[in-house]
Amino acid sequence: MKLSNLKNINTQELRSVLDVKGREALLEKFSLLGLPSKKSEEYRYFDVEKLLEPEYKTLNYVPQAIEEGDKIKIVDGIVVTAPKGMRIYYEACEQIDMDHFDPLYYLGHLLSPSTIKIELDGDIHVTIEHHFTQSDALINYRINLYNQANRHSTLYENFVADDIENTLILYGFDLHVAQDSTLRVVKSHTMEDTGYSIVASHRVDVGKQANALFKSFDLGGGQALQLLKVELAEHSHVDASHLLYLNENSKRGTVSQIVHKGEHSTSTQIAKNILDGNARGIFDALIKVEHSAKYTKADQNSKSILLHDKAYMASKPQLEIYIDELEASHGATTGQLDEKQLFYLQSRGISYLEARKILVIAFANTLIEMVKDTRQQERIKASFEEVFYKGHKEYL
Amino acid sequence: MSKNSNDITMDIQNLQAKIGDKEILKGLNLKLEPGKVHAIMGPNGAGKSTLSKTLVGHYDVELTGGDIIYKGKNINEMEAEERALEGIFLSFQHPVEIPGVNNAYFLRTALNAKLKHQGKEELNAAEFLRAMKSHLADLGMKSDMISRSLNEGFSGGEKKRNEILQMLILEPEVIILDEIDSGLDIDALRAVSEGINKMKDGKRSFLVITHYSRILDYIEPDYIHVLKDGRIIKTAGPELVSELEENGYDSIEED
Repeated sequence: MKLSNLKNINTQELRSVLDVKGREALLEKFSLLGLPSKKSEEYRYFDVEKLLEPEYKTLNYVPQAIEEGDKIKIVDGIVVTAPKGMRIYYEACEQIDMDHFDPLYYLGHLLSPSTIKIELDGDIHVTIEHHFTQSDALINYRINLYNQANRHSTLYENFVADDIENTLILYGFDLHVAQDSTLRVVKSHTMEDTGYSIVASHRVDVGKQANALFKSFDLGGGQALQLLKVELAEHSHVDASHLLYLNENSKRGTVSQIVHKGEHSTSTQIAKNILDGNARGIFDALIKVEHSAKYTKADQNSKSILLHDKAYMASKPQLEIYIDELEASHGATTGQLDEKQLFYLQSRGISYLEARKILVIAFANTLIEMVKDTRQQERIKASFEEVFYKGHKEYL
Repeated sequence: MSKNSNDITMDIQNLQAKIGDKEILKGLNLKLEPGKVHAIMGPNGAGKSTLSKTLVGHYDVELTGGDIIYKGKNINEMEAEERALEGIFLSFQHPVEIPGVNNAYFLRTALNAKLKHQGKEELNAAEFLRAMKSHLADLGMKSDMISRSLNEGFSGGEKKRNEILQMLILEPEVIILDEIDSGLDIDALRAVSEGINKMKDGKRSFLVITHYSRILDYIEPDYIHVLKDGRIIKTAGPELVSELEENGYDSIEED
């Protein structure tokens, strides 16, 4: 399949090319938004066209018996293991967001008539491991996840890839955070500079008095974009934090929309970005406060450190507000490592390399230390150090 | 103060240095003797802080002439971290705050860098904390100060105590104290001075840079050097302090 063939075609042609039955509203929505290009607002900093051009092989997504394992393991879009008692089904997504800003959210749903439905029972901690094994492939799947009201669950999301190349992954979550519950998602994704690319288009629907915590740790190289749409009901809260540490020729980041719909809803969004080599980081984030969302509190901040003169950060925090009764703030800063701090450490006998590492980790630490599970925290720190040393080979 | 080279820890010869376009040190000569406390006094803008920065290889300073001979070796080109590992320590006038860097982690990293340089075994976290306990008590520091971010939110006195704590654990051979007394109340001044005096072992050299004589009541100097317009214009014994107090720097005539 060549995704660029979907450019500028009408709904009928789209239906035929994608071999879709029914699903009129989705087809129309995708057709209306059109295939993303460098002119699309949400993809303007990401070379999406390059990813849509190749001829990819498509895969057959035939569900198989799920074996018992310590985590939910999804190999090329098929669940192969899950913890005992976990409820996982393949079924059509019943609650598709018809106001999502991302055309690939709709394309993902059109390509995945059957989604992986996961129901989290009780106060559970579960890991989803995405495993990719196919080269030259388009791997597309969607996960439809529900938690229970009055429960506090945590989802750790990790990624593993075999030695693959030229593969495009289109995946994403529809997360439904039940009323009075807490859902914590910790995504940790370290990539190499080659191999595969990911566009992850998520939708998070936060119920009344519920808390959604979405923490992403995107490290290393490669091309990846996460597009996140969050809707907040009355008295609900989202805490989104994004740590980006990129090297080599990587282009990665977050495009997000947090939409306050209910009164007294609150949001906090923090991005910390460290860019080395030729990397480009993206933080293009909108907080929208609708007429119905009186007494909203919203805070959004992006801080970036450039470790190399060729590194670039596209940081664009934005507010779109339709009411007066709210508290909102946003800001963005970009700088380099502080020379005074670096010298202070060196003046105590700490090498230039270690001093830089200490400062880079210090910058990121406020986000890493928010991860409550110390094993996950250690894993993130280890990946972080790996990326650091890769970017500082000349000092080793 | 005429000594043979074996009696000198650091020999600063005709030192010339500038910061930006401004020439600040203009041929400064100074010999630091082992076991002695050298106090540098001088008016604002004389070059006192530039001297301390030059000795530790600060990036602000461009060395334009002269030599710094430390333990018989020219260290003009030596990087800051190497100077530190070789035993040169500067207590900063304004220690920088580093949010996100745990003070204990920083102190242990610095100590382990030194131990590694000396070919000794590095300390693990538990061994390090045990070694720290008595130093913290001596300096009147609460144990939570080392679990906080390095200097972040520390008062002026806490920052200076933290500098002295670093000095105590790193056990340097040349100790440069840049206005260690500024911003200290009497209790902090006493605690800091006791920490410094504890380091006197008859071998270490101290270079105490100060505006005021107050600190010299606690750390008895062996020599007073008057620094003016980038040069040492007079060297004398501790008796010079009272003369300076009485008549100011303008009254000092060059040796």
